[in-house]
Amino acid sequence: MTIRITLPVRSIYARLGFKKGVTELKPAEKEKVDKTIEEAKDIVHLKGAAHIIGILQVDHVGIELEGGIILSSSSLARMLSGCTQVLLMGATAGQNIMDAIAQATSSDNLTRAVMLDAVASEMTDGALDWIMDYVNQDLMRRVQHLTKKRFSAGYGDFYLENQKAMYDLLRMGTIGVSITDRCILIPEKSVTAVAGVAALR
Amino acid sequence: MNTKLKIQKKMREGLVILDGATGTQLQALGMPDGESPEIFGIKNPDAIKAVHQGYLEAGSDIIYTCTFGANRYKLPQYGLTDVHEVNKRLAAIAKEAAGKRALVAGDIGPTGRFVEPFGDLSFEDAVVCYKEQVQGLLEGGVDLFVIETMIDIQETRAALIAIKEVSDRFTICSMTFDASGRTLNGTDLLSALITLQALGADVVGCNCSAGPKEMISLIRQMKPYAKVPLVAKPNAGLPKLKEGKAFFEMGAEEFSSFGPAFVDAGARLLGGCCGTTPEHIRMLRKNCDGLKPQPPQVKSIGAVSSHAKTVMFERGGPLIIIGERINPTGKKDLQQELLQRKFSLAGSYARDQVKKGASILDINVGMPGLDEKGALREVVKQIALTTDAPLCIDTSRVDALEAALRVYPGRALINSISGEENTLDERLKLAAFYGAMFILLPIAGRAVPKTSFERRKIIKDVYAKALRYGFTKDDIIVDALTMAVSADGGAALETLKTIDWCNTTFGSKTVVGLSNVSFGLPERKWVNASFLAMAISDGLTCAIANPESIELMSIKKASDVLAGRDKDASAFISFFSGPKGQVPGPEKEVRDKTSKERIYQAVIEGDRDGIQTPIDKAIAEGLSARALVDELMVPAIRKVGELYEKKTYFLPQLIASAETMKRGFEHLAPRLNEEGISSAGKGTVMLATVKGDIHDIGKNIVGLMLKNNGFHVIDLGKDVDHEALLEAARKHNPDIIGLSALMTTTMVNMQEAVRSIKDSGLVCDFLVGGAVVTADYAESIGANFAKDGVEAVRVAEYLISLKRNTNI
Repeated sequence: MTIRITLPVRSIYARLGFKKGVTELKPAEKEKVDKTIEEAKDIVHLKGAAHIIGILQVDHVGIELEGGIILSSSSLARMLSGCTQVLLMGATAGQNIMDAIAQATSSDNLTRAVMLDAVASEMTDGALDWIMDYVNQDLMRRVQHLTKKRFSAGYGDFYLENQKAMYDLLRMGTIGVSITDRCILIPEKSVTAVAGVAALR
Repeated sequence: MNTKLKIQKKMREGLVILDGATGTQLQALGMPDGESPEIFGIKNPDAIKAVHQGYLEAGSDIIYTCTFGANRYKLPQYGLTDVHEVNKRLAAIAKEAAGKRALVAGDIGPTGRFVEPFGDLSFEDAVVCYKEQVQGLLEGGVDLFVIETMIDIQETRAALIAIKEVSDRFTICSMTFDASGRTLNGTDLLSALITLQALGADVVGCNCSAGPKEMISLIRQMKPYAKVPLVAKPNAGLPKLKEGKAFFEMGAEEFSSFGPAFVDAGARLLGGCCGTTPEHIRMLRKNCDGLKPQPPQVKSIGAVSSHAKTVMFERGGPLIIIGERINPTGKKDLQQELLQRKFSLAGSYARDQVKKGASILDINVGMPGLDEKGALREVVKQIALTTDAPLCIDTSRVDALEAALRVYPGRALINSISGEENTLDERLKLAAFYGAMFILLPIAGRAVPKTSFERRKIIKDVYAKALRYGFTKDDIIVDALTMAVSADGGAALETLKTIDWCNTTFGSKTVVGLSNVSFGLPERKWVNASFLAMAISDGLTCAIANPESIELMSIKKASDVLAGRDKDASAFISFFSGPKGQVPGPEKEVRDKTSKERIYQAVIEGDRDGIQTPIDKAIAEGLSARALVDELMVPAIRKVGELYEKKTYFLPQLIASAETMKRGFEHLAPRLNEEGISSAGKGTVMLATVKGDIHDIGKNIVGLMLKNNGFHVIDLGKDVDHEALLEAARKHNPDIIGLSALMTTTMVNMQEAVRSIKDSGLVCDFLVGGAVVTADYAESIGANFAKDGVEAVRVAEYLISLKRNTNI
């Protein structure tokens, strides 16, 4: 799915280290930063994928999903206690923004590259927020809701190796994402995540 | 009495009460967690009937069928495929429960897919999907339809068009907005209202997502622009978490207390969504008893919309520019692209024109050898994805017009409908079906009417025909017809007379195709701009023109002020003040700084382009390159580092300063060599992002900072395995190896990398960093830690100084 989100300007500025009331930014400088952020927004093509799948078993080392898929992580298993299903989600900012970052870096414009990078990161994260909001709306009709937290492979004890199974289930190839034999997603600003589906009363 | 009239009568009598949530009610009757209400309803008809009866007894005037997800894309997830039968049965159950007490609305919800151009589901497939559902619901006996909880305007349009093409039933369209008034897909309240009421929705409004308090504000915002009644179906507040479980907190009494405020805000149909119960509805009815909702305040509205923006045509408002550049005439590049079915140039034109001030974009793809219908459809979809500006569909072909109108996710403007007898009815019918506004072209034969008088007759004739299709003057914009003054010296005056007549007598909006007036003349821009000024003074509403003409846009802004169409001259002032202002102001006085001050300031301010000239001047004044580096540039970059650490500077400012420093170094490099100084003499640092990790922006920043501070940097890139790292270390013999990792799971490779280098016998220091790396972790693997590029320089200098002291 193509995802359209409001540009998370505040998060982008925060990611770049801006502190309100402390960082001094002249109007002309701010205009340049805002212009670059707007340009980045036009280059980012957010796409996402989502899939709800049933949980067969949860134990202290991980979870088993329908189809025999195992996700290994104690902290993930803890988060999912009480859930009967998981939402697998994936998002990407697209290749164009990575090309633009590379182009800026190679032409010695790292200032531009860091801003494009910040926009791509925050928008990709924003895409996951969007997917969760979207799925939550649908789940409410079935008296369910998502866990507030989500886990991404590569952090905590949720190793990158888990990403392959999620990549396959989400068919992320259809949104322009590939996966290396080291389970790294390409383009770089691509991410998968897991949230739990629980009952709403 | 047919049901449409019944419902309209009911609305005139008072507030129409809808029902509440179905899911929570079925759950109370034993529906398992995660079960689809439709499946449960099919298997347990008595349960769903009991839910309907609960709401009927509570006083609902209209109940919804339990068919929200009963479409071909959702039902198969639960093992059902006979969409028609499921809808028919569930509608019949609702009808049986309702009897004569209430009306039954066939409930239609999202498919879970996104419709082109925002997703992969074709518009026609979406229409077919909804027609399937509609037909089942009709056979089950529904009285009307409700399309609800929609976030995608295109999907909503598909459902509404499906209903229109199968029946003439009363239809309620309700979308889900967040507190800011946008759907998840970015459609704002006003654009949703303008699009759907124009397309034929009998009621428009919102449901779900928000509680009553938030939704009242949304209704209030819609009210001034609604020519149809408004509906609201809020949740029972927002779900709260307690002891790990989520629930709806708002009880019936509190929920119903908002009823009068909804009526005051403009709602004429009111119910409840997630978390509400028959008790909520019963008390809502009670609290609203006797209240008289207001009828719609407007009968018609002159506005066009995209999926996320509305442009209102306000008499007396600033002139609206319709960008003309997406037109292949005279544009070889665009012609080539269109023939190859590529659209990037059209997309660029769209973005550029909007940046320069076009509020609406004219889309014309007419050219020999092109399938105009197919191309127009595709370009409209692509531009709808590229920009929020509403579109003006410019074609003389009826089939192309229909294809574009059908797939356009908003309320379009048609350019144009003329008085030509053989196509007039067909075009008016199309415009009416899709709810479009249109430009009325006062041409009825081969000859273009020369005089304003001749044009008026055609305008009145076409308008009289348009009335039969339900149009009002708010729905049309008269093209005052601009002809070349080079061919007819009085042409411009006739156009101006037409504009004036439309504005003062006929009472309609006007448009001109601006550049026609200057055809055949030199320096056309001045003729166009002057004509525009005159036309604005006579009341012209909009112009099809090139917004990238600075003269034109400047004159437009000034003319709006002079004609009283730019209140307080705010748009004019905003246009001309600041760097965006196109008119060059007086040259700013250059402060009388010394070259040394300017070098220092260039680094502090990150002025990459401003460092070379003062460097040259300083050298010419006799300063050595070394002195410039040691006394000015290095102190400046260190000052920047301090400002960054205090957060007075943030990352872009730090990098801009570092890049300025780098540029200064590069410019000074020959001089430094002459003076026998290496600009990278402090030491060698080899950088890499570890195996398994491809994030490198942090590493790149560290590299830049180190270079600026006199280090020789070798960057091995990202996802560097231990073997490559070892080989490079043997080759370059660095003083320091810097490793970066962003993820906890790749961070472990730092330890292995450090171990493999140490085991090989190579002697060097290690410096690690990255979002998840900590000082403790660094220490545990025998490395040093730096949280950012500024700290990396300090640590590297410290390590080198230690090494040098050790070597003494």
